[in-house]
Parts: sequence; structure tokens; C-alpha cells
Amino acid sequence: MPQVRTLLSTILLPLLLVGTAAARVPQDPPSEETIQFFKVNCFSCHTIGGGALTGPDLKGLHERRDREWAVRFIRDPKAVLDSGDPYASALASEYRGVVMPTLPGIDATLAGKLYDLIQLESGLEKSRFEGVQVSDRPLNAADVEKGRALFQGSKAFTAGAPACISCHAIAGIGGLGGGKLGPDLTAAYSRLEGRKALVAWLAAPPSPVMQPLFTGHELNEDEILAVVALLKDAAGRGEREADSTSLTFILLGIGVCAALLVVFDLAWRNRFRAVRRPLVARG
Amino acid sequence: MNDFFWFAVLPYVSVVLFLLVTIRRYQTSKFSYSSLSSQFLENQQHFWGTVPFHYGIISVLGAHFVAIVMPRSVLWWNAAPLRLFMLEVTGLGLAILTLVGLINICLRRLANSKARRVTSWGDWFIYGGLLVQVVTGVGIAVFHGWGSSWFAASMSPWIWSLAKLSPDVSYLATMPLLVKLHIINAFLIIAVFPFTRLVHILVAPNPYFWRKTQVVLWNWDRTRIRGTD
Repeated sequence: MPQVRTLLSTILLPLLLVGTAAARVPQDPPSEETIQFFKVNCFSCHTIGGGALTGPDLKGLHERRDREWAVRFIRDPKAVLDSGDPYASALASEYRGVVMPTLPGIDATLAGKLYDLIQLESGLEKSRFEGVQVSDRPLNAADVEKGRALFQGSKAFTAGAPACISCHAIAGIGGLGGGKLGPDLTAAYSRLEGRKALVAWLAAPPSPVMQPLFTGHELNEDEILAVVALLKDAAGRGEREADSTSLTFILLGIGVCAALLVVFDLAWRNRFRAVRRPLVARG
Repeated sequence: MNDFFWFAVLPYVSVVLFLLVTIRRYQTSKFSYSSLSSQFLENQQHFWGTVPFHYGIISVLGAHFVAIVMPRSVLWWNAAPLRLFMLEVTGLGLAILTLVGLINICLRRLANSKARRVTSWGDWFIYGGLLVQVVTGVGIAVFHGWGSSWFAASMSPWIWSLAKLSPDVSYLATMPLLVKLHIINAFLIIAVFPFTRLVHILVAPNPYFWRKTQVVLWNWDRTRIRGTD
């Protein structure tokens, strides 16, 4: 599969790109806001010169697509794809049908600024967005254990990010399992096709729920590797959390409620019940 | 749904309405600050409605309050999975207790002719609002656990942003519909609070908790008079 992808990205896609407009060179340096926006919203799926992650490497985007197309796509990727655009369709099929989400607060001006930023960074020998630099050392059992502790919250993330279990389940947690606000992460490692994309995701989580929580509370390299190790281990297990944990949880809740009702009845066993009935009973 | 309206405008409108009408009602009609108890009319079903409901709702609201004021402490408690499970099970138990109490309250008001007679449309309105609130709360606990953790991580910062007058609705952008409904309904209840029987919350005899004990002397034989001890 990697060979097919390489073939597609190095031969077929550039062919599709032929005929795109020669780009104007942006005059102004990118603003700090644009850089920050790219970092928060784009960097977890794209590099500039560091290879493909969940989405394509953006180096040389201006040579492949003209500004008008790129701005239209960045503003509303799904609309461009739905319009039957051949390039967008080729991208979607190359990236396993993953469609780029609509970015929060995006408009034509911001999309244009992002296009300029990508063009400027593409011209550099080494872009600051070349990719997250995390060690590629082999992951071991100690990493998995550390990842589990971080996932469950028994070991806190250094910068104060919330524990994964708050919102996510994963195979092998035990007890009543993990949270259900976010997706089950058992298959996350295989879904993102391995370590590189997962590292990028964890370095700057792009989901709208996670983004505000992790901005300013980013995971450090050791923590990223530990969580990656846990996710890889979970993917290897292949078993998702049993649905029976939900039923157990509900039954335990009903049990607590029933126990409290019994306590109330006992605590108020001498409560006033009636005037006439006890008198009649005694008579 | 327009997130900004529901989560940045509605909260302020609700709180301002709550404050203004609460004060105005107290100034003009202070003796209406009551829930107009119907316990004299029927007290058997009443017990199984009002006791579970009040113990449940006070505990659940208290838990929300702690998570808003001390989110870090809640996250610290939840750092051990067993403690997280204990907290969640207790929370669900109390939520179901509240629901059981509220359903009993409504059934009693429907089934008992005397209680039904003294139930106003305003009462039914607020019972309906509370039912939506408690049912969505139980639904969130079951379908979107573990709320004690993600509330402290995600909801508390939003509530604090409201308190600091710079609302940040990004925390709520992709929250499930059930969570959004729970929040919107909560602020609607706050908005109508001063028009309903809920005002009795503000005049609960809280000093009973800290006043000096009172010695009650009976000057007759209680056993003979009441037939009980």
C-alpha cells in the first residue's frame, strides 16, 4: 500500500496538477495569527515538506493548484468534493475517503493567508511545519504501562491536559471502561495508519472538542510516545470494550437508587401516615 | 443551532431575568414565596415523591457546583479509575433517585383529585421543564459518560468564561445534542424560576441548620393523647 500511495502522490497527482496557475509570490510575511491557526488547525494532518500524514504534504501546493481553487477548497472541502471536482475526488480516494473538516472561523481572507503561508514555507529549505520531531525509537512494555497510566489519569500530563479516560474508551481498561463522549480509541492506531500520523495528531489534537482543551496544555515527547505505545498495544489486542459495561453501570445506578429509597423508608419509619386509619385500626 | 445565541446570550438573559423578577416579586408579593405544600391533602404518595426528589436534586446540583468551582479537585479524585467509577455510579444513582421522585410527584398530582385541584398551569410547566432536565441528565450519564471528568475539563472553563463576561463557546462546539439540550433547558428554567413555585428554594429555612437547639417541653402525656410515643 505505501508503494501505491507513493506512486499516486509522485506520479499521478502531479499529472493532475498540471495546468495550474503560476502563483504570485506573497509579499507580506505571514502574521502570527495565521501561523498559529495553521499550527492548531492544519499541522496535525499536514506537513510542509515532511511527507503525508492523515492528509497530503502541502509543500509546493501553489505549483499544483491555483489560489482560487485552493481558497475554495480550504473554505469548504466537502462542497468542493460534492461538486464532483476531479482533484478533490482523487485526494479523497488516496486518503481512504477522509474528507478534510471545515475549519472553525475560516473565510476567504484567512484561506488566502493560509495559501500564502504554505507557499512561503514551501520555498524554505526546512519549513517550521516539516513535522513533529519525535524520536522513532522502538516502543516497549514500559511505554505501554506509562501510556495506560496517562490514559487513566493515575499519572497526570505534565502540562495539565485532561486524562483520555474522561472521554474515551480503549480495550483493556477494565472495570466500567472508559468515557463515551469521544470515540473508542481501540482502533485509532490502525485508523490513522500508524505512528507518524498519530504522533502528529497527539502533538496538536485538531478535533473541535479537544482543541480548546489541549491548546496551551500540549503533550511532551515522552507522553506522546507513551500514548502511541498504548494505542498500538490496544490495536494489537483487537478487542473493543464490551457493551455489557453500560448495562452494569445502569444496574449499579438503579441499585444505588433502590438502596437510598430503603434508607429513606427506614429513616422515616415513624413518619405520620394518617389520623383516621390508625384510630379505626385500634378500635 | 446557533451556539453563540444559546450559550453566550441566553445565559445572560436568563440570569438578568432571574435577578430582576426575583427581586421585584419579593418587593411586591413576598408572601407568594412558597411552594404551597399539598402535604395536608395527601401524604402517602407525597413522601415517595418529595423526599427522593429533594435529596436527589440537592445532591446532583451540589455535584455540578463542586465541578464548576473546583474542577481540578474533581479531576484529581477521578485520577484513580475505581474512584471515577464510584463517583459516576453514585451520580447516576442520585439522578435516577431524582427522576423517581419527580415522576412520583407528577403522578400524584395527576391521580389525586385534591392535589390536582391545587396544581396550577405554572406548576405543570415547571414540572415539564424539570422532567426534561432530569431525563436529559440521566441520558447524558448513561450515553456520554464519564461526565464528572469531561464536565470539569470542558464545561467548567465555559462557565467561567461566562462569569468573566468573555464567553467562549468553542468548548461546546461539538458537544452532543443531549448535552446542549440539558444546558439550554437549564437556562430556560433559570429564566422562568421567579415566575414559578421554585422561588421556595430562596426562602428555605436554612437557619435551622445552625440555630441553637430548642428544648420542647410537653405538659401532657403524649402516649395517652396521641397513642404513640
